[in-house]
Amino acid sequence: MSSIEAALKPRIRLRTPGEYAGWVLSILAGIGILVSVLTNPNFKWGVVAQYFTHESILRGLMLTIFLTLASMALGTLLGLGLAIMRSSHVKPISIAANIYITLFRGTPVLVQLIFWFNISALYPNLTIGIPFTNIGTAIDTNALMAPITAALVGLTLNEAAYMAEIIRGGFSSVGKGQIEAADSLGMSAGTRMRKVIIPQAMPSIIPATGNQVIGMFKGTSLVSVLGVAELLQSAQLIYARTYETIPLLLVASLWYLVMTLLLSYPQSKLEQKYSRATSRLPRKAKKVVLTEPEGTLR
Amino acid sequence: MSKDGTILAQKIRKSFGPKTVLKDINLDIASGEICCIIGPSGSGKSTILRCINGLETVDSGVLKVNGEDFGYYETAHAYHAHSPKKLAEQRTRVGMVFQSFNLFPNMTALENVMSGPVLVKGADKKQAAKRAQELLASVGLAGFGDYYPAQLSGGQQQRVAIARSLAMDPEIMLFDEPTSALDPEKVGEVLAVMKDLAKKGMTMVVVTHEMGFAREVADSLIFMDDGYVVERGDAREVLSNPQEPRTQAFLQQVL
Repeated sequence: MSSIEAALKPRIRLRTPGEYAGWVLSILAGIGILVSVLTNPNFKWGVVAQYFTHESILRGLMLTIFLTLASMALGTLLGLGLAIMRSSHVKPISIAANIYITLFRGTPVLVQLIFWFNISALYPNLTIGIPFTNIGTAIDTNALMAPITAALVGLTLNEAAYMAEIIRGGFSSVGKGQIEAADSLGMSAGTRMRKVIIPQAMPSIIPATGNQVIGMFKGTSLVSVLGVAELLQSAQLIYARTYETIPLLLVASLWYLVMTLLLSYPQSKLEQKYSRATSRLPRKAKKVVLTEPEGTLR
Repeated sequence: MSKDGTILAQKIRKSFGPKTVLKDINLDIASGEICCIIGPSGSGKSTILRCINGLETVDSGVLKVNGEDFGYYETAHAYHAHSPKKLAEQRTRVGMVFQSFNLFPNMTALENVMSGPVLVKGADKKQAAKRAQELLASVGLAGFGDYYPAQLSGGQQQRVAIARSLAMDPEIMLFDEPTSALDPEKVGEVLAVMKDLAKKGMTMVVVTHEMGFAREVADSLIFMDDGYVVERGDAREVLSNPQEPRTQAFLQQVL
């Protein structure tokens, strides 16, 4: 005989054997990995702790942050230009942008970085001056393309191609009607871009850009092949001396992880703020009053 | 030269790829005339409206808006396209109201109405805001200035859109099915604003399915089908006593 009324009885979810098995296996695997990581002396956690805040590691971290910010900033600017070029109705301009994007997205960044580092093999001298005159100065390309310059150029040019596609995607998310409304008011193309298209494209551009920043942060590790003493290279320089390879890779990895987590937080906030559903009502929007003000036509 | 408000179209042709949408359009709309364009979908009625505003360019024919060649200037052998600046200037004199309102969602109602004067004509912001408040009041939306389009009903958005066009002080207002996207109960409030406007002597060309509005407000009525103007005349006369069989068939379906 039931003691509670039928309508008040709780509903019990079905738990399958697979669910229990999943719990048990995950916990066992987790404990196993944890024990192994903590007890295996070869991880040398003491060394990790010792080098985690080592001066050259921190300097490498700073350089990594600088490369990320600088190449993202420059890449976004260049990407904006490319996106505008790609949406141009002048065919050669949009084709040029298209070729750029195809080339830079279609080849590995690593290859591009090494290419820019060795650009002096193609153009030994770079001359800045007025064409068809003798005015100008020649610069030794090899001297100009120091590892860090090559790194910055390589990362920026590559990022620009990706940002161009993100920005262009944002532009095309703005409805045709918006452009027609701006045109019918007689807006110039520049005003239309600044006041109508870009503000409305931001909701889809900003979250994607946040993802790119996180990707770029880890991507900078590639420039270690050019001998730029960023985070990974700094770690490599130390273990080349001490042979403590794994502990130093752990040091670098932990920093990458910490920074990625730090960047993920504002990224997810931005994503919330600009998500399609919420962007329909801008933040500073006035609360809707249900009673209609005077003068409403009936 | 500012005040004219006439539209003249002769032998307008317009194709989209292989499809000829306007085949031989002749129009003559006087200053202050209220002209309704009706017809089945695909008849080219929206396209001719969009040509008058420069959203589409005509392939051939003469198109004079406000007394001057629109979008092009004539030489002995050809029509040459105007510079974007000159085209924009001509467009500011023709207001356009869209079926889907097309308010700028990133701006408040007031900013929408101010956008033309401030961003195009470079008007003083304070004065433009004052004018925009007056315009919002004139379309029955006093006090709605701080609302964003997403917070307004369709009828309210359309009235803001009308105010936005009026802020440019156009001589001609074009309406492309202004009430088609509205709930039936919101249609009246938009039509009321348009009637109000008609009384003030604005030249208006209205593509519409609202036969009641055409009968009550319009001076002239144009029936279009398949890229041609099939019939045109006094609005009430055409509606009650259509001459062409095609017009009769259409009106029988919709009335």
